[in-house]
Amino acid sequence: MSTLKILIADDHDVVRKGLRMLIEEHPGWQVCGEARSGREAVEKAIQLVPDVAVIDVSMPDLNGLEATRQIRKECPNTEVLIITHHDSDEMAAEVLDAGARGYVLKSDSDKDLVHAIEVLSQHKPFFTSRITEILLDSRGSRATDPQESIRERLTMREREILQLLAEGKTAKEVALILGIAIKTSDTHRTNIMRKLNVHSVAELVHYAIRNKIVEP
Amino acid sequence: METRAPIRIVLSDDHPFVRRGLRYLLESAGKYDVCGEAGDGNLTLELAMHLRPDILIMDISMSPTSGLEVATQLRQSLPETKILIMTMHDSEEMLRAAAAAGASGYLLKSDPEELLVVALQCLEEGRCFVSPVFNQAFAKQLFR
Repeated sequence: MSTLKILIADDHDVVRKGLRMLIEEHPGWQVCGEARSGREAVEKAIQLVPDVAVIDVSMPDLNGLEATRQIRKECPNTEVLIITHHDSDEMAAEVLDAGARGYVLKSDSDKDLVHAIEVLSQHKPFFTSRITEILLDSRGSRATDPQESIRERLTMREREILQLLAEGKTAKEVALILGIAIKTSDTHRTNIMRKLNVHSVAELVHYAIRNKIVEP
Repeated sequence: METRAPIRIVLSDDHPFVRRGLRYLLESAGKYDVCGEAGDGNLTLELAMHLRPDILIMDISMSPTSGLEVATQLRQSLPETKILIMTMHDSEEMLRAAAAAGASGYLLKSDPEELLVVALQCLEEGRCFVSPVFNQAFAKQLFR
């Protein structure tokens, strides 16, 4: 039997430690890398091509949902398991939309996490019964929801920049982090503000918090 | 060689991965005995009363009884047990609330793992511990 390679991404040392312990107790499973931010998770995923990436939603620089989108795009064979403390129907829908095929709450048991990794490693989806309930409940209401979701309005790059701006970074800092020209970064910011119809950074931050792109 | 009784610790957090990570860190430090774990506030109260640990490491966000309520109750019934709050909340209001509830230490989950034993050492010596994140905020005001 070949080894199952697992990447773990969480900005809390103690959570990564717990996850590593749990995963390494399982024969045939190996933690091939750890990341403290979404951006690091994407880099490590591309570099290590894990079978499963276990990713926390709330991380600095690039949140777990955006990281998931990028990982699924760059490494289509890597399955993503989201772990989060957010227990809401919006979050469950966001997780699916980002391309993750598993979702475990941090308050779920160790057994749920192990089971989720097992199932995902066979390229099958895993949701706890609680999450399935949430998803089924919200299906009807979402279909008739007239409010356009942020994902349809902003590009992946724009959402990435939105998070950095909402975290207080300037257009210049954004340009440095992403390795793009300051002018390009400025253009992105202008486009984001136009698309979202906001006119100040304060409004931008408010928008990002409301849409769970950053934590309040 | 001097042999000391291990410091007895109870862990309280509703996230099993966090408890597992904490247990591992404490056990590898050598001098701690993790004598109990609880995943909610009520169980924490019960367990702490029963085990009377030296230190209780506790999260704030737990339902139905929060870590702050547990701290308030334990301060009266178990004054000898020191409480180290370990939370994701980096707000000064929460820090103040924890201090008011009787905690002696306040560590953030985003702090480097090495700080856990530093915080515990402070509590063992009867001192208090506050995450360096708050020093940064203070320094920023000071050196503006």
